[in-house]
Amino acid sequence: MASRQVDIRFSSSLTRRESADGGRLAVQVEDKFVKIRNVKLDGRTEGAVDSREKLLEFCFDYCYWSVDRADPHYASQEEVFQDLGVSVLSGASEGYNVCLFAYGQTGSGKTYTMMGTPDSMGLTPRICQVRWLINTQLSFLEIYNERVRDLLKGGEQKKRATLRVREHPEKGPYVQDLSSHVVSDCKQAIDLLEEGIANRITAATHNHDASSRSHAIFTIQYTQAILENNLPSETVSKINLVDLAGSERADPHYCRDRLTEGSNINKSLVTLGIVISALAQNSQMSSSCQSINSVASEGDGSTVGSHSSSLSGGGGGRRHCFIPYRDSVLTWLLKDSLGGNSKTIMIATVSPSASSYNETLSTLRYAAHARNIVNKPRVNEDASVRLIRELREEIDRLKSMLLSFEMQRNPSPSLSDERDGNLSEIVLQNELKVTQGRHTCLHLPV
Amino acid sequence: MAATQQEARSCVRTPERTNMASVNSSEWRAICDKFTNAQNLTEIESRNDKENDPFRSKYKAKELLREIYCSLKNFEAGEGEEEGGGESGDQRPTEQPVDGQREDLFGQGFSGDSPAGLRAARLGAVEYYLGVNHVDTEELSAGQEHLMNCMKLLERCRVSSPNVSLFIQVRNQLGILWAGRDETETAQGFLETAESIYQRYMKEDGSPPTDMTEYFAAEENLLTHQERIKRFELAYTHTMYYLAQVYKNLGQTERAATYCHTTLQRQLQLNQFTPMEWALNAATLSQYYITKGRYMEGRHCLSAATVISDLAGEVPSEAAAQENETESERREHLRQKRAEIARCWIKYCLNLLQDAKKQLEDNIGELDTDRQEELKRARRREEEEEEKGRKSALLFGSEDTFDSIASIEEKVMCLFPLDFTEARSVFLVGQNHVTQAKDYFQMDGYVTDHIEILQDHSALFRSLAFFEEDLERRCKMHKRRVDMLEPICNDLNAQYYLMIRRQLMFELAETYNEMMDLKLALANRQADTQSLDNHTIKKFNHLCSASAKYFQMFLDSLCSPEGKFPERLEEEVLRPALVARFRVARLHSRLISTSPTVQLDNLNKSLENYKYVVQYCEANPEAGAAVETELELSKEMVGLLPLKINRLNARMDSNN
Repeated sequence: MASRQVDIRFSSSLTRRESADGGRLAVQVEDKFVKIRNVKLDGRTEGAVDSREKLLEFCFDYCYWSVDRADPHYASQEEVFQDLGVSVLSGASEGYNVCLFAYGQTGSGKTYTMMGTPDSMGLTPRICQVRWLINTQLSFLEIYNERVRDLLKGGEQKKRATLRVREHPEKGPYVQDLSSHVVSDCKQAIDLLEEGIANRITAATHNHDASSRSHAIFTIQYTQAILENNLPSETVSKINLVDLAGSERADPHYCRDRLTEGSNINKSLVTLGIVISALAQNSQMSSSCQSINSVASEGDGSTVGSHSSSLSGGGGGRRHCFIPYRDSVLTWLLKDSLGGNSKTIMIATVSPSASSYNETLSTLRYAAHARNIVNKPRVNEDASVRLIRELREEIDRLKSMLLSFEMQRNPSPSLSDERDGNLSEIVLQNELKVTQGRHTCLHLPV
Repeated sequence: MAATQQEARSCVRTPERTNMASVNSSEWRAICDKFTNAQNLTEIESRNDKENDPFRSKYKAKELLREIYCSLKNFEAGEGEEEGGGESGDQRPTEQPVDGQREDLFGQGFSGDSPAGLRAARLGAVEYYLGVNHVDTEELSAGQEHLMNCMKLLERCRVSSPNVSLFIQVRNQLGILWAGRDETETAQGFLETAESIYQRYMKEDGSPPTDMTEYFAAEENLLTHQERIKRFELAYTHTMYYLAQVYKNLGQTERAATYCHTTLQRQLQLNQFTPMEWALNAATLSQYYITKGRYMEGRHCLSAATVISDLAGEVPSEAAAQENETESERREHLRQKRAEIARCWIKYCLNLLQDAKKQLEDNIGELDTDRQEELKRARRREEEEEEKGRKSALLFGSEDTFDSIASIEEKVMCLFPLDFTEARSVFLVGQNHVTQAKDYFQMDGYVTDHIEILQDHSALFRSLAFFEEDLERRCKMHKRRVDMLEPICNDLNAQYYLMIRRQLMFELAETYNEMMDLKLALANRQADTQSLDNHTIKKFNHLCSASAKYFQMFLDSLCSPEGKFPERLEEEVLRPALVARFRVARLHSRLISTSPTVQLDNLNKSLENYKYVVQYCEANPEAGAAVETELELSKEMVGLLPLKINRLNARMDSNN
């Protein structure tokens, strides 16, 4: 299983607008490719438009077509579970942190995919149905406007208190005071799930009757007994099921890439910092795009290959700076799930209707972009120039030793008689000299 | 589009004729009251709207604005004016709107204070507010339509003090709107026009312009000149700020940085800022300059940040924070931001030292004294030019802050440190900020931040060590690095902090290696004899093994949970993994032993690791490019080491 995987599902739910325009399909799915017709160009004359512009193509790991049950390609809940749910569970049992993201506009079938209906269960309850191992704990939280709320605290919670996100050296990133619930069977798990869902913030606006404006993270943590070097041991597995907010608000770059208004009311230009951060970050990126790949030989244009010359020749080199802009709470909480020791699966739901063109396209773009969201490790290599130089010297010594050895094996006729007899002795002497040389090669290169 | 037509139709024409000119009429009073109400709903009450009904007050304000619009229309009809541009929505071309300004916005059209001009401005203002309201409530198309209606109304007027503010602000809003749709060039058009309108107005007129709210204010509520200027300048600050974002999105980084700088400077000059937010922005801007190698600007931004952050006041005491939640939050906020500014300072010091080192090092990473002399001479020349350079640079400051900023700047140099004394002064400033930053970003609660600060501290030592001539002291500096990083690397949870641990392992391996080299160099200097004493050998072997241990630990971290080393290395760890193998190979062959068996064992381990590099690159040819030098050397060693091993074997045999 690849450590990152992005899947797309087309849903059957018809919204009001879709029925109004006859539910015209703007999307085709072929194997792993999604093609979307550029409806913006529809009005234009045929010849004027390059045919490439008419179809936009995206590639994903899986594509599911769940629009019409009668369709031979129709992908059922069970099928989606068999691909995705099973890989979630197997990843977790291998000891990885597993994270499943769901993303898609309101009405595109995201809830159907994640939760399902009583007679057609979605991914989450299906995942909850697997046999529980020792000590299974659940927690459920919501992030609204960068504030974290516990969805399972019920009446106890005063004034919807916001929780603090912290990092512990041993326990990793965690939400302080988040309630954790031990469950022993599937029913308890699903009850908690439903309780949490009921507590989520939804908002009524003129555009949406009830759009969810928050991200929700449902976490299943369980301990399993394993044998390690034939000794019984325990390993903790964590599954995060993340339901991203149903609009562009879910895009973690939402604030970064867009102009945001400075309020006239107070003096705060809230996002100026974000803009400046982006500037610093971009220029840092451009000067360090090769971050780990060519650092070692930096500054040593003379002895190393081409890959480092661009760095040492440029004069500027890389400079790392500090961007005092906090990651979004979501990114922060899930940072151990984005790369490294984790498996990430992203499912994006889109509506195939032509009227949802803009939203569908932006979901597809976002999903395609999500493939690249990784926590890249940065390892700083010190200049290993000296090491390379020393090694070269050693190689030269070894080579000259080899050479002298060769000369003795094919000696010039005049010398042969003298030396032939004690070749091994000479070899030994040579070796001794070399080993001695190695031990006492103490001078610092000047 | 539909929204506006509907609104227009819903205006019921009242038969009686009303005269708008009578500002004191009760109808006019009613309009003014409604407007005040709508403003209040939008700006104040909306902040208390519930999460599940987020636009409640704004929807109410929208209704009021629509009523005002209708009433104004009636006044207009009553005066027998032709229909305003507000209803021409259906005629609008389907093309994307651009700022269709006339050749000369200043020369033609109604004067701003003529009755027709005033009416257009008033209607335009209502369209403007309706537009902003729709955008705020996530109805972008309707918002756009209202804003374009405003543009249309203004087209008939010429820019003058009663309407110039509206001219600019409607363009600001359209700029935001289009940028939000990723149509950055369209946004740029609106905003750049706004910029030029401001500049020309200030050049040709410059009198304090009417604020839009004054269109609907009773005479006794008109604004003072000072207040007018303040609001107008704020609108233009926003133009600068939006342009900064537009240029950023267009990839014009340099230009974007200039506009960010201008925005900050305007905020400071006009006293329109919240201190901590401003300070943090300035500190962040410093990081941009630092990545560009512009240390003078970087230092200036940081000094300004430090000065302005002090304006945010004292950090509430722990006791005060425990009693009161607001104080607790304030304490948290102030401490965090100050610690973040400190971290920006750390990066300044660190990069300055590192850049200086790059300038000064020879081809094996040691101080090049010729280069040092050359740079010192060059600097003497530069110092004379410095004053001139300063004047051309962008500077922050209002009258009362300028001196304090300058006095902070004096505490740290912005030119490359060229010798140990200078390097040490930069190092010490950096180290002070390390202490400050760690005080807030403690290990418990801020693991990642805390470690990043430690890594910077370690890097500060590393750079300083370069300038240190005394090898003993140099070695101690590296020892400090080991002492601060080693315990953390071993205590962290391996699963959650995988990346950090990998970085730490690599750094520790490198540091031990560095110490090993220094020990050897020291021993070499002290003793002219070719022999090493036992103590030194022991020390050397210890450092050598420690280095190899951490490289090996790094390699082990790549294994699957079952402990299997991956067959294919992921791209992001490819080079570090192969380099680690290569280094392990080298380190094993350097261990000193008098026992041939141990020697043989070490050489075999060495060979095994060199072989891995070669074989991996044979199996995955694309990997070769990432480790060109290492691969070349490994190949040689794979060819040569067996010879050495064979001889050692031969010698052991003959000895037996």
